[in-house]
Amino acid sequence: MLEIFQYDFMQRAFLAGMIIAVLASVSGTFIVLKRYSMIGETLAHSALVGVAVGLVGGYNPLWMAVIVAVTSAWLIEYLRSSFALYSDAVLAILLSGSLAVAVVIVSLGGAFNNSLFSYLFGSILSVSSEDVITILIFGTVALALLLAFSKELYFIAYDEEVAQTSGIKVKLLNYLLVTVVAIIIALSIRVVGSLLIGALMVIPTVAALQYRVGFLQTTLISLFFALFSVACGMMLSFYFSLPSGATIVLSVLVLFIISLVKNKE
Amino acid sequence: MPVNFRVPIFDVKNLNFSVRGQSILSNISLEIFNGEYIAIIGPNGGGKTTLARMLLGLEKPTSGTVRIFGKKLGDFKLWDKIGFVPQRASLVDANFPATVLDIVNMGRTSKRGIFSSMSKEDKDAVQDAMMKMDILDLKNKMVGTLSGGQRQRVMIARALASKPEILILDEPNTGVDMLSQKNFYTLLAKLNTDEKITILFITHDIGVIADDIGRLFTINQKAIICNNPKEALSCEEMSQLYGIDAHLIHNHKHEH
Repeated sequence: MLEIFQYDFMQRAFLAGMIIAVLASVSGTFIVLKRYSMIGETLAHSALVGVAVGLVGGYNPLWMAVIVAVTSAWLIEYLRSSFALYSDAVLAILLSGSLAVAVVIVSLGGAFNNSLFSYLFGSILSVSSEDVITILIFGTVALALLLAFSKELYFIAYDEEVAQTSGIKVKLLNYLLVTVVAIIIALSIRVVGSLLIGALMVIPTVAALQYRVGFLQTTLISLFFALFSVACGMMLSFYFSLPSGATIVLSVLVLFIISLVKNKE
Repeated sequence: MPVNFRVPIFDVKNLNFSVRGQSILSNISLEIFNGEYIAIIGPNGGGKTTLARMLLGLEKPTSGTVRIFGKKLGDFKLWDKIGFVPQRASLVDANFPATVLDIVNMGRTSKRGIFSSMSKEDKDAVQDAMMKMDILDLKNKMVGTLSGGQRQRVMIARALASKPEILILDEPNTGVDMLSQKNFYTLLAKLNTDEKITILFITHDIGVIADDIGRLFTINQKAIICNNPKEALSCEEMSQLYGIDAHLIHNHKHEH
């Protein structure tokens, strides 16, 4: 069973996958509770623009993805808080707009190939040592920020205005959250793929919410589901030669359905 | 200290607020002093919630000033001195993953540092707030499973956990049954008299708390300040002017 760990690429993919599972589920809890589930999906498509620029221009796609995703996150938050636009409409516009830009860039640059496919659906084969180090460094910073402000972010998710009236810097923390989420998404596209990372952020939390327990327990259940489905998905990806993003999301989907049925009143 | 030199908790001067040219509040001036129990009434759309939002810094006035504890809104930092219970307080999302304790703990958030866990002082304040609201036995219950009246007490406990000097309540009775409402008003009066917490209560149903309140502000674009609420209530004209259903349900605080 553990023969898969004999391969260096699997060790790297597993390490990266586990870090991503932690990051996606912890940040996902705040995103889901803020009714902002679609932001993951949108930022993943924005990250794809960065990947496209990286592939065509010869830069590190992961770094470019981080830069574009963070910029896009700030734009979303700015539009959401400064204009009377519907949040979900803002996300929908940016999602399709980003994808269009990414497709044009890769088409013009002639980079429409397997390399792009792995960024769309994730690939355990493509995780380099450099990627693992990047994920580890950015991931640690992102997690530290989330934990440092978890009580504030929880309060904001519960009631933004009441949080503001009790002296919490809501605007600043909203920007911080979307920035961290953008970084996590950009880091995740190697393993989970940009089309599927949104699911890994949202589904473990929604599954955990079915158990109707307090905040800490919900976060821990969500974390467990994310870790389990990433591990499970990677093994399926290895043994059946399937894109890892798809097998990870299918694994977490099974956990969601079980949670839903088990807790049905 | 002589009364004349008291710094009001809220000092509102010539406040105007309009949205796209339409006046919502016009030339409002009022002061709220420590220890008062004030009710704000007025018809829906008359601007009472807008006024509360301005006192809380959630909305910026078009012109005029709001001072809190003597400071301009922008310079005021001690927000934990003000406890706010919003209109939707008792209508919590049933799926929100929060126990009663999770919610009341939120009241200590701005007092805690980064990464820091709850100190003894934090825990004592939370315990004390839950005791005052009589919700200690609900501590580990999910807030979504509580009744409207219980949720309302949880929301006030959260506001009390920061040890505020003033409580601002914006129609917190939405979705709460009459019996719970009665107990609730008794509780508010007790917080005002025993705990010396200033209370600013926004409602459209003034009859219920008429016996307890000290002053009454009626808001319908303009403000009328009334220092004897019972007289004001008996005035049918006022009831017509503000479109308030002024049915009197007396809540005798010395009933029991």
